[in-house]
Amino acid sequence: MTGRLKIVAVLLTAMTVQVTVFEEIRIDGVSVELLLLVSILAGFHGGPERGAVVAFCAGLLHDSITATPMGLHALVYAPLAVATSHLEVRLARSTRPFLAVGLAVAMAVGVCATMLAGGLFGLHDVDVARLARTALVASLMSVAVAVPTSRAVCWAVTGGLPVDVDVRGSGVESRG
Amino acid sequence: MAVPRPTGRSRPTLLLLIAAALTLLTLQFRGFAPLDSFQQGMRDLLDPVRSVSETAARPLRSAWLGVFDYDDLRDRTERLEKELARMRGRQLSSEADRELLLRLMGEVGIDYTTLDTVVVRILGTPPGNFSSHTIEVDKGLDDGLSEGMAVVTGAGLVGRLEVVDRSRSIVRLATHPAFRVGVRLVGSQDEGLARGGGATGYLVIDAGIRPDVEVAVGEVVVTSGGRSRFPADIPVGRVVDPDQGADLDREIIVEPAASLEHLSFLNVVLDPRLADAGPLERG
Repeated sequence: MTGRLKIVAVLLTAMTVQVTVFEEIRIDGVSVELLLLVSILAGFHGGPERGAVVAFCAGLLHDSITATPMGLHALVYAPLAVATSHLEVRLARSTRPFLAVGLAVAMAVGVCATMLAGGLFGLHDVDVARLARTALVASLMSVAVAVPTSRAVCWAVTGGLPVDVDVRGSGVESRG
Repeated sequence: MAVPRPTGRSRPTLLLLIAAALTLLTLQFRGFAPLDSFQQGMRDLLDPVRSVSETAARPLRSAWLGVFDYDDLRDRTERLEKELARMRGRQLSSEADRELLLRLMGEVGIDYTTLDTVVVRILGTPPGNFSSHTIEVDKGLDDGLSEGMAVVTGAGLVGRLEVVDRSRSIVRLATHPAFRVGVRLVGSQDEGLARGGGATGYLVIDAGIRPDVEVAVGEVVVTSGGRSRFPADIPVGRVVDPDQGADLDREIIVEPAASLEHLSFLNVVLDPRLADAGPLERG
């Protein structure tokens, strides 16, 4: 299976799981943000460029299933994937608990940014208390399913190999 | 763990993607139909999977509710039993009540009960964590529904159909901040524009009502009809704050007539203009 097909497979699976399994499992009315999780992990494993493209597609799929204006989630997910990728360089030798906390923070930032963007476009009112609760619960729930998701995303975006090794320091990326 | 990498090409890519997202957003807000069709197609594609998932999860959900929400369920059953007993007691007087209601509605020219409606079942909140003031119902295009139709209960206006897929729809509740409806005060016959009050749970009439008009607390507010797709005279709610002392920016607070608490079914008012048109014209 080629890299692109793997990414498409992971994204479609994530979308299906999001609207089926995770819609049924809600805590305090909040569910896992699987497509946001995939976006962050794509930035983490795949690097800024590939991560941004995967996150953009994940955002468009999210917009489709939640009936929000096309591009709203994509507008937030792509920069978040790039930011995660830049942080990943600094967190390369971090321990697993530290990475889990980092992931939870990234998830919370993503949830808040999405809600604020929605508020900016007049889709809903921004209630700070509700926003904080949603961000906290969604990020904790998403971290709980991060390990299998991370493996799937890593398989899709890297094929199990290290990527983006710059042998000349020229900024040109090569793919495994 | 991936190897650290340079980021030389990521900036133009990111800028390109942000520009693409903003372009899509602009097109969507300008009503670019192919985007709507794409989104609707994706949701329709997932609909059978969602239905299977909901059916499969139902026993688990029931078990969960039975274990963790037992007290709530018991309270609800007790309340329903009391309600049933009271309704049985009132059965004899219901005919007289009905006549009184019809007479009162006739006095203010309300023929709200004669509208053609489709009964829909509430499925819950739509997918996602940000769908406040919206609910999902189990009927869609295949059942003759279309975007913008009014959604009511026996008590009055609930909202309007915002997104209509083949077999599901999303209802924007009247309390949604982006909800707008033309209204008429039954007492003064003044017409204005009401918007959803968001988290407050009220509606706010903030345009159209003259500052010097006397509005009483408890005054009934109904839809004004006219060019709106909402038929006239659907009860919207009652005034709780007439904002009598306001100079120019008068904001009349209205408590919605219909409550969604413990409801399972709603009525979608079929648009008579669409009913007159043939199936092809409905699009």
